[in-house]
Amino acid sequence: MSSNRTIKPSSLSLSDLPWQICWKKDRCTLCGQCTAVCPVQAISLSVFRKRNIADSMNPSNLLKLANSSSKTDSSLQTDTLSHNERPLSSFETYYGIRQKTTIEEACIGCAMCSMVCPNDAIEPRRSHGIDRYRFHINQDGEPRKRGGRRNSTDSLLDRIKFIRISMLTDPALDAGRHEFELRTLLGRILSPKENINRLRNNGWIPPVREIYPLIIGGMSFGALSPTMWEGLQMGVAYLNEELGMPVRMSTGEGGCPPRLLRSRFMKYVILQIASGYFGWDEIIHAIPYMKEDPCAIEIKYGQGAKPGDGGLLMWHKVNKLIAAIRGVPQGVSLPSPPTHQTQYSIEESVAKMIISMSMAWGFRVPVYPKISASSTSLAVLNNLTRNDYASALAIDGEDGGTGAAYSVSMDHMGHPIASCIRDNYLNLVKLGKQNEIPIFAGGGIGKNGNLAANAAALIMLGASGVQIGKYVMQAAAGCIGTETDRCNVCNTGICPKGITSQDPRLYRRLDPEDVAQRIVDLFVSFDIELKKIVAPLGRSTSLPIGMSDALGIDDYQVAQRLNIKYVV
Amino acid sequence: MNNDRFYVNISGIKGDKRIPSRVLEEMIQNAVEQGHRAIEVNAYGQHGIGGRLWRSGNEKIKIRIQGHSGQRTGSLGFPNTEIEIMGPASDDIGWLNAGAEIIVHGNASNGAMNGGAQGKVYIGGNIGARGMTMTKHNPRFDPPELWVLGAAGDYFGEFMAGGIAVVCGFNTSYNESVLGYRPLVGMVGGKVFCRGDATGFSQSDAKIVPITDVDWDWLCTNLMNFLQKIEKKELFDRLSKRSEWTLIRAKTPQEKLIGKGILAMHSFRQDVWDRELGKGGLIGDLMEVERGTIPLITKGEWRRMVPVWEHAKYKAPCQANCPTGIPVQERWHLIRKGLADEATSMGLKYTPFPATVCGYLCPSPCMASCTKNLQYITPVNVRLLGRAGEKAELPVSAEKSGKRVAVIGAGPGGISAAWHLTLKGHDAVLFDESKQIGGKISSVIPDSRIPKETLQNELERVKKIIPDIRLEHKITPKSFQKIKKEFDYVVVAAGARKPRMLPIPGVEFAVSANDFLEKAKQNPAKLKDELQKIKESLVKSKEDQTKSNEVQSAPFKKVVIIGAGNVGCDVATEAHRIGAETITLIDVQKPAAFGKEKEDAQAVGATFHWPCFTKEITSQGVILDDGEVIEADTVVISIGDVPDTDFLGKDISTRNGFVSVNEFNQTSDPTIFAIGDIVGPGLLTHAIGSGKRTAEAIDSIISGREPEMLDARSEIDKSRISLEYFNPMVKSYNTLEECGSECASCGRCRDCSICVHVCPEGAIERFESEDGAFEYKADPEKCIGCGFCKGACPCGIWNIVTNSPL
Repeated sequence: MSSNRTIKPSSLSLSDLPWQICWKKDRCTLCGQCTAVCPVQAISLSVFRKRNIADSMNPSNLLKLANSSSKTDSSLQTDTLSHNERPLSSFETYYGIRQKTTIEEACIGCAMCSMVCPNDAIEPRRSHGIDRYRFHINQDGEPRKRGGRRNSTDSLLDRIKFIRISMLTDPALDAGRHEFELRTLLGRILSPKENINRLRNNGWIPPVREIYPLIIGGMSFGALSPTMWEGLQMGVAYLNEELGMPVRMSTGEGGCPPRLLRSRFMKYVILQIASGYFGWDEIIHAIPYMKEDPCAIEIKYGQGAKPGDGGLLMWHKVNKLIAAIRGVPQGVSLPSPPTHQTQYSIEESVAKMIISMSMAWGFRVPVYPKISASSTSLAVLNNLTRNDYASALAIDGEDGGTGAAYSVSMDHMGHPIASCIRDNYLNLVKLGKQNEIPIFAGGGIGKNGNLAANAAALIMLGASGVQIGKYVMQAAAGCIGTETDRCNVCNTGICPKGITSQDPRLYRRLDPEDVAQRIVDLFVSFDIELKKIVAPLGRSTSLPIGMSDALGIDDYQVAQRLNIKYVV
Repeated sequence: MNNDRFYVNISGIKGDKRIPSRVLEEMIQNAVEQGHRAIEVNAYGQHGIGGRLWRSGNEKIKIRIQGHSGQRTGSLGFPNTEIEIMGPASDDIGWLNAGAEIIVHGNASNGAMNGGAQGKVYIGGNIGARGMTMTKHNPRFDPPELWVLGAAGDYFGEFMAGGIAVVCGFNTSYNESVLGYRPLVGMVGGKVFCRGDATGFSQSDAKIVPITDVDWDWLCTNLMNFLQKIEKKELFDRLSKRSEWTLIRAKTPQEKLIGKGILAMHSFRQDVWDRELGKGGLIGDLMEVERGTIPLITKGEWRRMVPVWEHAKYKAPCQANCPTGIPVQERWHLIRKGLADEATSMGLKYTPFPATVCGYLCPSPCMASCTKNLQYITPVNVRLLGRAGEKAELPVSAEKSGKRVAVIGAGPGGISAAWHLTLKGHDAVLFDESKQIGGKISSVIPDSRIPKETLQNELERVKKIIPDIRLEHKITPKSFQKIKKEFDYVVVAAGARKPRMLPIPGVEFAVSANDFLEKAKQNPAKLKDELQKIKESLVKSKEDQTKSNEVQSAPFKKVVIIGAGNVGCDVATEAHRIGAETITLIDVQKPAAFGKEKEDAQAVGATFHWPCFTKEITSQGVILDDGEVIEADTVVISIGDVPDTDFLGKDISTRNGFVSVNEFNQTSDPTIFAIGDIVGPGLLTHAIGSGKRTAEAIDSIISGREPEMLDARSEIDKSRISLEYFNPMVKSYNTLEECGSECASCGRCRDCSICVHVCPEGAIERFESEDGAFEYKADPEKCIGCGFCKGACPCGIWNIVTNSPL
């Protein structure tokens, strides 16, 4: 640090930063591992100056001085020192780890330094109170962007309790002993009358898939690293083929590797199409060679992290591999606009997109839109109910999303998922179509680790299933992001766990096999937990979709709003 | 009455009315109490018949049940009790059995032996769902046993925690498992013998084990016993074929931990995933995929960051800020290596005036920009190095090129140009209109600023290098054209010799600073006379007789200098030297004076005033805009000089009176170059630097190259330097050696090897070539990219940069 320096408004001190590196000099072996691993170069070796002052009151200091300094007079007395001389002061240096205070090199709290330190000598600590850093991460007028995480631990879903415990009233069930039908339906289910009518007249029956209600939401090949993406798909395949769990995963908007398109694993995949249409020509080229139809087609109109905003994959991330899969030249930026260009209304979107995508696979594949939760979601749903080709509606709440987004979008845009799902479901109930068009919920499910409870709450509020993203990244790949602004650099390609990076030096830290194994662990344990919730409710024959009499909350207003029980 | 062959009969019906379970229980308990040990019950579905008969103590009790036995017959049964049900049994036969033996000559419905802990239940038929569930084995007693002649219903043996079940599978009506659907879920103890198909049991809880001889002996012995009890002895041969039997036991907790019996992910990837997708899996067709992970700390090409030794990639701030471009840091390095002579003679490659300018006259931008200032540490003393240059060895000139260059003006700029041109082998001829070379250094700068001898020595050295110097050679437009024709190139370094004066009344009574300084230096007495005359004429012109006495009595007492720059300060110092008493410097803005000149002026008592706008010069002195009068005997105007460019002719373009040049000091005529004050005001070192650069440019053109900036390196980022190695309390330096060791050597490796020692992996090595040049390199196979070399480097040589993409 320079003493003779000027400051600028954005000159920060260590205490202004959100994370402070706590370095213990006495434990450090100066092995260099922490500085080598730090993803943002927030720490470096530094030379420190240390001043030692020997006081002139102590004769032994004078003796030392006499021996060491140029003043060789061993009979040196205090009196002989001029008042302006400071010969008793000496300097030495030592080496240590120093934290940088520049905006771009501020510690992100990922604690990779702690992970590699052989002596537990270093760790980042969250600063107390509000950091000053946040007021300066808009250098050059560029607002902060970050990986999808709202940095709020609030969760209404966490507060919902399952209050209906059947012991003697309903068949008493044992989660560990009984068999449960936990599959859900993705697809348009006709009313019995209409179904019979079409059967009789050889009419078209919409495709319906029986799938597991916990779906891995759309995270693109590109947003995720190749190792992460392959690990997820491998885990999904394992769950299907070894454990008989019909788990499905959405590709996100980034195309699909050609080999997967041509494999039998295609049936476990929900292909996503979004406003950038990336990778779709490759998908079209693969259609003649597909062994299996995809599970479904998801048309992405919005996502929870940045409702109403598009995305941009920066040119430097578009390497050879990404370019091949997305069907674009290497090294160009790839914008996904906020809207699909040629669609100007809900009606048009439904009419054009759903029918086009249905046609691609001969109307054998369910097609549904995914939107961000909004006060206007009902309008979308109402349109879908009038169209047989619409298979479902996926709604992503404000806590959803894993991709890069402007902080302002992430923090302040969007609608909570619970009331949105509830409104939509109750609307279907009003129309008598609650069993005909499924709604899938996403956004903040398991954000505090309560995956099964949050999923069950949404299902009982009316969702036919849920989509998860962040939880997958954390549980299956060890993402270190938290809701207290830790790490959150998914958008910059420097993910220290190799989850969201296209740099082999980072993504090779992640083994697809390990990811796949964790996916299996995650789903198997979720399955047990979900049974632990539905068994006491006395439900084993079908998923308790909309079984809201089982729900209660200790907040009267919320209970009223969601039409569930108020319990204290 | 104690004879068990004589059964007492208790009927469950009285008249046409069924006796409640509570009453029947009371009647049976009473009979036992009364000593009956054989009781036949005509049952009508009463609950729990035959259980809890402890009242007989150790004596055996036989209960024979005719009719419809109710639920939980023999429940909570005692070891002394034997119950024989002559027909089928209802639910939960032997429930919570604590030792009773129960024989059923027929089927039993759900829950047989549920919760049993001891005792035996023999079923001469099939059983319903959830038989043998929740049974236990208390080590104090023999394990409970359930014998079933036929098959078991669904969910058999759930949570079975002990005991032995034998399911004989005789005459079973199903093709499926003799243990029913999903048997043995949650089984943690005990064993099950079964005859027939037992697939479908919970593999995670139980396992099939071989039947040992001990097991088989036990089974045969007890099977015979069972068949006798249910009066089907004749079946023994049919049922006692060892190969038809299966033994299943609960897995131990340890067995449950290992091998869940599902495919390992690694095998799945190999045998399922890659087989379907092809070699390399998901993206194996698009890129080469290596298996396995890399560690967090990597070496070689897997490092994210790599160190680079950026020695001399940047200029040190001293060099970057030296208008002459002297690489001061390189010279201190030579001093550190004990090569003082080389260090001083290196100076002559940049300037002909190391002592005069670097040592005395230059305000030393090098020291002002020194990195050490960042921590308020005193910069090393360049003046010492400069002064040492007075005795430096003469540089050797290159071979003659035969090209001739005229240099007009033998001031610092002109001398510098001629000096460097000569060293490069060109014939440079110096022209000057004065009697001596040196320009302002010789004529104007006060002697107090530099020892005469030093200047003289350096000027003599210049004369040694440049043989052809033509003094007192006034250049006219005509002679200039002649020179132009005669020489290949012309460097114009005529300076700015025309003083700028103020357009105010009375200006004719002021003297210019240059005039003043030149005359004060050469002949102070003459100067004073002239000043006296000016004063007198001024008084006369105003017909101010009253003042005349004063004028006579106080010649040259009060001096006012208009323009308080460094030249003004020189005037002040000189005025004091020749006898002025009060010296006032005024300026329209905060005085620009700085450094030695300002200090000297202040030392002689000169005062500075601003802002002062001069309106008029009168016999009283200087009259300001606001009417204030600053009394003066002599007024000196020191607001700069303008060049005289008339002799150049109209072909050379000028701007605001100065000659326009490009970055190589080339004028609009490509053979004519201009440097120094004729181009714009600057320091001596600016003129010397442009002289050098011009010489280099001309040399390039002569040798047929495009002129280029010889050293376009940028200044090093000062934050890279570790000043912590230096003692901040050192305030002065006495020797060159001291300076050498205290120089931070910014951007110039000082060869200290700290990096070698700091590197945690021992990756850095020093390499030296035959010519003594050295280099430090980090071995990629050892380096982990920690950047410690960068952090520890005193000179900011090491950098850590992003590794090139894989």
